[in-house]
Amino acid sequence: MGGSILSGIPYSWQEGLVILTSMFSLLVLILVLSIIKKIGIGKEFALAILKGGTQLVLIALFLTFLFNYELWYVLIWLLLITMVVIGGYTSAKRAHSMPKAYTITTPAILIGSTVVLIVLALSRAMPLQPQFIIPLAGMAFGNSMTICSLALDRLIREIQLNKPAIETMLSLGASSKQAFEEFEKLSVTASLIPTIDRLKTLGIIFIPGAMAGLLIAGTEPLVAAEYQIIVYLMIVGGGIITSLSVIYLTKKKIFTSTEQLADWIQDEI
Amino acid sequence: MNIIEIKNVQKTLGNNLILNGINLTIKKGEIIAMVGPSGSGKSTLLRCLNRLINIDQGSILFYNQNITEIPPIELRRSITLVHQDSTMLPGSVYDNIVYGPKLQGKNDDSIVRQSLKEAGLSEEFSTKTASKLSGGEKKRVALARALALRPQVLLLDEPSAGIDPKKVQTIEKTIIDFSQKRQLTVLWVTHDIEQAKRVSTRIANIKNGKINYTDQAITFQWEGAF
Repeated sequence: MGGSILSGIPYSWQEGLVILTSMFSLLVLILVLSIIKKIGIGKEFALAILKGGTQLVLIALFLTFLFNYELWYVLIWLLLITMVVIGGYTSAKRAHSMPKAYTITTPAILIGSTVVLIVLALSRAMPLQPQFIIPLAGMAFGNSMTICSLALDRLIREIQLNKPAIETMLSLGASSKQAFEEFEKLSVTASLIPTIDRLKTLGIIFIPGAMAGLLIAGTEPLVAAEYQIIVYLMIVGGGIITSLSVIYLTKKKIFTSTEQLADWIQDEI
Repeated sequence: MNIIEIKNVQKTLGNNLILNGINLTIKKGEIIAMVGPSGSGKSTLLRCLNRLINIDQGSILFYNQNITEIPPIELRRSITLVHQDSTMLPGSVYDNIVYGPKLQGKNDDSIVRQSLKEAGLSEEFSTKTASKLSGGEKKRVALARALALRPQVLLLDEPSAGIDPKKVQTIEKTIIDFSQKRQLTVLWVTHDIEQAKRVSTRIANIKNGKINYTDQAITFQWEGAF
């Protein structure tokens, strides 16, 4: 591994461990403040940092192995499939009582992320090496998952709230597609608002993750900014495709083939 | 001539058997009232007739054709349901009334004018914002909106519920007038037995998911109907 992008970090992992240990003084501070002020988050925070930290160390060990493994291109598929499946199941929890929601969230996340990753690969923005594929795929899947959850949650809430209006439209001879149109637009827009807002404030309120990482790793600021824009185009592009895909697939779960609201949504309201 | 035949219809919602073998025949041009206690299955039956929900057993025939053989959109334009809540769609009264015809490519002002008139509303009313209307006005717009589809059967779910008692009889008269004028078949759900007698020629009593009995409005005995 090694390589130029890591040259910006001025210490080895052993030295890093010492620095990390010293940073745990912050954790002690949080625990002390939590006890004094009786905030009650000390234990939860300590467990969260332990869990998150362990996960990061495990993934780091896995990546170290993968970057040095000759058949990395075989193993990477396993990782990517795991990412999509976990993303699909996590997002499905936002689907209220929709039966087998993972059967729509998983393909939606897969479609949105795969399209942008193919574009990144074809445009050479993502060289086909594990140190590029894994972080970029992680960002693509992660953002697609968030956008998928937002779109799904908003859509089901809108349908619940507007069930009388939808049934009125159906009773007046509207197709399910016509009765659904307005809520489709609302949900896609709502799912992309946080991403678009972040785009507007890029570089003003905060330096985003990819650019910050590249700067720390010693990349020229202009190149880092260019790459960050590429990342954001990937996020927005993948997000729109995911959002449209999940809404399209959800429609088939919300309405029956005979232009009725499905039983699960009738029962839920 | 029978326009609707309901034969041994059963419907379960959740774990509750709501309709338990409904049998009813409705003649063309007839105004039939359906009375019964809350939860007896009146609204569920209307939803089945409008195919907003499917029946579990039995059959519903429209001009001797099983309604499952008719495309749902086409069926709803012929057998139209006016919901109890009279939910207004976004926009003006005009937008609401023209909604159904517009879906069929008929964006015709004359349909709106005629429907407004039949529902007892003036033309000036069409520019008002639908969501800001009073309960009674919404009921009338919902009626006009359904009439604009030129249905053959009108399913009315408590069309005067929740409105000023003084205005109830005006709404009743409006509905009777346009039904007679158009030779429209009406299935009128109400919990008000006196209203049922005023508006219909025949009354069906629904109880525990079954038709308890039917009789002419004049001779209908309502002891035991609730």
